[in-house]
Amino acid sequence: MNRGALYYLMIPLLLLLSLLQSTTVARFKLAGVKPDLVLLLVVAGALVYGARPAVLWAFIAGIGLDIFSGGPLGASSLALMASALVAGLGHRPFSRFNILVPLTAVALGTLLYAAVYLTILAILDVAGASTLRLPLLGAVRDIVLPMTVYNTALMLLLLPVLNRLPESQDL
Amino acid sequence: MRSTERRPRSFSDIGVRVGLLALAAVLLMALQISGNLRPVQSFITQLTAPAQLSATGVTTSVQGFLASLVRLRTLEQEYAALQTRAEQLEAENNTLRQVEQENEQLRSLLKFAEARPRLELRGAQIVARVIGEESTNFSETILIDLGQVHGIRTGMPVVTDQGLVGRISEVTENISKVLLLNDVSSSASALLADSRLNGIVHGSTSGELIMDFIPQGPTFAVGEAVLSSGLGGKFPRGLAIGVIESIDSQPNAVFQTARVRPAVDFGSLELVMVITNFEPNESLPDLLLQQSAVTPTPAAAPTEGATP
Repeated sequence: MNRGALYYLMIPLLLLLSLLQSTTVARFKLAGVKPDLVLLLVVAGALVYGARPAVLWAFIAGIGLDIFSGGPLGASSLALMASALVAGLGHRPFSRFNILVPLTAVALGTLLYAAVYLTILAILDVAGASTLRLPLLGAVRDIVLPMTVYNTALMLLLLPVLNRLPESQDL
Repeated sequence: MRSTERRPRSFSDIGVRVGLLALAAVLLMALQISGNLRPVQSFITQLTAPAQLSATGVTTSVQGFLASLVRLRTLEQEYAALQTRAEQLEAENNTLRQVEQENEQLRSLLKFAEARPRLELRGAQIVARVIGEESTNFSETILIDLGQVHGIRTGMPVVTDQGLVGRISEVTENISKVLLLNDVSSSASALLADSRLNGIVHGSTSGELIMDFIPQGPTFAVGEAVLSSGLGGKFPRGLAIGVIESIDSQPNAVFQTARVRPAVDFGSLELVMVITNFEPNESLPDLLLQQSAVTPTPAAAPTEGATP
């Protein structure tokens, strides 16, 4: 089975991106948000290889993100796993070479990521165990929507690279 | 004939995989909240700190280089006048330039420390280096290269010579996380320098600083300095927070609100100071602070409450 180099490089790449996300990427803020390169790679992985390996990558990448974050450990893992599952839908039933599929996958993936993350924060807040408190409307207006647009625009730039990767079986 | 025997479930089944990984994530969350994960986190952050520091250093250098490229267009026009100066600058190598910059910052910090002899400022003797920033878009934190072994404790105020930065929100052995003042969960009691009006400065989802609960009636002006008032006991008194940028005063509202331009550039923090001898007074429980923020009454005294 030809899995391609990216499959084997996913975990080191995701860990590297987690590190960069807290250093270099923070300098690329637009409209107050930074791009989520880890999320983009998880979505790309799910589109190319399917949801099954992507959820594991999402879990590991989420831990990497949360180590450098003020948020609760494991929250990014759960949020990224949800994104991987939804992006994995684009692996088989739809052709990922259709421009709309990766763009929709990353937009939906970002929205779902934010929804799960914010839900976890809200649950922890109600339980009195949260360190962060985000007002929902403000978070959607100032963070989630700009983040979705930013990530989708970046995916548009990544499409030529993504389309060069060979289609792989659902592993 | 199709076999009716069911395959045993394994980790390769996506349902099992998602279930187990979700369970592991929840377990990690619970362990972190209960504080049982601190040694592991401490070990991992210690392991990643050098890489993070290097990445931050490289980013800063590249950013500096790119900024120089942008400036180059303007410099071309002023080339003749600046030629002599440019020759002098060429003599300096990159390392010396960085050292000079750092010295400059250290001198400013030292002046700040000397002007406030009551506060003991610590971090690599005086200052802490910022080694990383928040990795997600949902909070505003930074990582500094000081931890428990340097005497850093949760709740300690963090400042620069420009003003208030935030509070220590999480401490491991050698690394600490600082919840910045512009995080939506942060707040500080504030005082307008000229009009002496009290209020609460808090962060917002857009990363701006908002001063709330300013009593209706008295007037104050755009450009007025905002200082920490010390009320609530979470931050020392008199630290610069910023200046009033715009005022939102509704005639029917109980309080006035203003947007504050931060004194500190939260996006380019390199060196910060931790005030280690300031004992944060946690006399008001967070629940009470939340209630006062949700249902303000004219009699309610403004207070502060970052919630690391």
